[in-house]
Amino acid sequence: MSEGKILPEIITPSNKEVIVVGEQLNGEIRPVTLELLGAGRDLASKLGGSLSCVLLGHKLEKLPQKLISYGADIVYVADDSILENYQTLPYRRVIVDFLSGFTLPPHIVLLGSTTCGRDLAPRIAAHFETGLTADCTELDIGPYEHTNKIDPEKVGLYPNCLYAIRPSFGESLKARILGPWKNPQMATVRPGIMLPLKPDENHKGEIKTIPVDLKPEDYRAELIEVVHEVSKSVNLTEADVIVAGGFGLGKQDGFELIKELASCFENVAIGASRKVVDIGWIPYPYQIGQTGKSVRPKVYIACGISGAIQHRVGMSKSGLIIAINKDPEAPIFKFAHHGIVGDLYQIIPELIKQFKSNIVKEEKPLVRQN
Amino acid sequence: MTQSSLKDIFVLIKQVPDQSAKAGINPDGTIDRAKAKRMLNPFDRYALQAALHTKKHYGGKVTAITMGPPAALEIILEALEHGVDCGYILSDKRLAASDTLATAYALHKVIKYIGHFDLIFCGLQTTDGDTAQVGPQIAERLSLPQTTYCEDFRIEENKVIAKRVVEGGYEWVKMEIPALITVANSYHHLEYKSFRGARMVQHLLRNEEEKNKYIKTITLDTIGAEPAKCGLRGSPTIVARTDKVSEIGGSCKIHQGASQEQLVSEIIQSTNIKEFLKL
Repeated sequence: MSEGKILPEIITPSNKEVIVVGEQLNGEIRPVTLELLGAGRDLASKLGGSLSCVLLGHKLEKLPQKLISYGADIVYVADDSILENYQTLPYRRVIVDFLSGFTLPPHIVLLGSTTCGRDLAPRIAAHFETGLTADCTELDIGPYEHTNKIDPEKVGLYPNCLYAIRPSFGESLKARILGPWKNPQMATVRPGIMLPLKPDENHKGEIKTIPVDLKPEDYRAELIEVVHEVSKSVNLTEADVIVAGGFGLGKQDGFELIKELASCFENVAIGASRKVVDIGWIPYPYQIGQTGKSVRPKVYIACGISGAIQHRVGMSKSGLIIAINKDPEAPIFKFAHHGIVGDLYQIIPELIKQFKSNIVKEEKPLVRQN
Repeated sequence: MTQSSLKDIFVLIKQVPDQSAKAGINPDGTIDRAKAKRMLNPFDRYALQAALHTKKHYGGKVTAITMGPPAALEIILEALEHGVDCGYILSDKRLAASDTLATAYALHKVIKYIGHFDLIFCGLQTTDGDTAQVGPQIAERLSLPQTTYCEDFRIEENKVIAKRVVEGGYEWVKMEIPALITVANSYHHLEYKSFRGARMVQHLLRNEEEKNKYIKTITLDTIGAEPAKCGLRGSPTIVARTDKVSEIGGSCKIHQGASQEQLVSEIIQSTNIKEFLKL
């Protein structure tokens, strides 16, 4: 492509800082923030820069120190009662002001692909007119040779680009997306994929307060009620066992069978593929996959789920994956640990039956005399 | 409860390739958009329903807006069949390869060009991009309050009260109008096409002049958008490469061809699943 010509090196101005926009809820750091610090640490050392975290909330107390132990060199803190819960406009204002305050822009800004991160990140990116890649599953740093002459001044070799890698077209593609012309380069990253560092109490870091300076227009929306239904069902991301249903259930009532199977387990949650959420058989909070939740339970039972990449990226790290599907060619059989080829309406009742008799057998030793 | 009345409701929709159809899907997994079967982005059906619901309960006129090749007329007609009042298609070759930022720039210019609005509805995301970024990016460009992941809303005293689904729960947000809402797929399904809408579309298809009154095809010049901020040139991100995801695994133990009793008992014997049963 370059026909032996050496491309000019183009350095996009930055202070080489990698910034993670942290999330907290009810006095706890959300797990995705610690995961982002793990990923960010690696990027920062490749860049030769520092890793920081910006945390917004109210009465944050020990939380900034915790972020330092998980790898942050600097924690920027905005502590104010209006920031207690996430709200688009106040959070947007504080982050925009904060990022505008650098003489040289940060190199990378990362957010979690959560309902907050996916709400906030596009606003920040649009404000700074910088690139943002959604729902990444891998991040890296590397060079990029731009040879497209549509904008001649852009042709060149860009070192230190953020490689934002994400599944694409819901199928079997992985796209590497770059935005080398402007910093910060931004990405949202799926929860449950990156690994946090082991906390190190000796890691030294700095805590800096940043201003909260809202304008009248930031009060055009008001949070009037927050409801967390944690008690109602086990949080998908914290369950030991997930029983998930897909289009192979054939009908909405199929979820009754899924519930019955789930009721055999301790600390269990129900999940679903995107297709059945799209057609309305089960609400969105149950969706597992690229555009739903990422989960890593000890046991994952996939019932009538074909296992497209968009589902796979959300659950492939589960401890034990058991798939039930009548199509022996279903992609899920490529990455499950155990697969049963058969009609789930015969297999699941049989599973329930044998689990119940197993429970009885398990109890037997208690009464049997040795 | 005070009656609220609205004048203009915008809904942003997109035509996407139908990924469940085999046509136009290249062996390497990329999509040949010219050959692929086209459809209305499934997430936009919820946005349409939200817009039509708003019209029904609070009044106003619903305008559907899309950006795409001329074939996008199909989804504007579909929207009209469902009861939308009129449509705009932003179609311009200079928009090719727009990323989310460039798309949001172009669409916000369309919105400014059309003029007054009370509410803008968008689908949560598209099935071909999966980013959920364009809605909030338009809200930023227009300096609007927003509610994403909205699954229910009502309008009281000229404010929108919107329910937003979040991890493990939900919240209610009260927003001043004008505002932008992205609609979750837990919202109500799109109702059937209306008889009036279908008849209207039949009428428009027979009468070009009438059609041009209700459906306007516009270009970057019409809306005064800067070409440098659109398309590939206006996009801060590029897809540098795509890789086929390597076929992982191959270590799956397949159980088949025996009675269900046998198959299930094999699973129970060969895994640690019993450890997780409720006693």
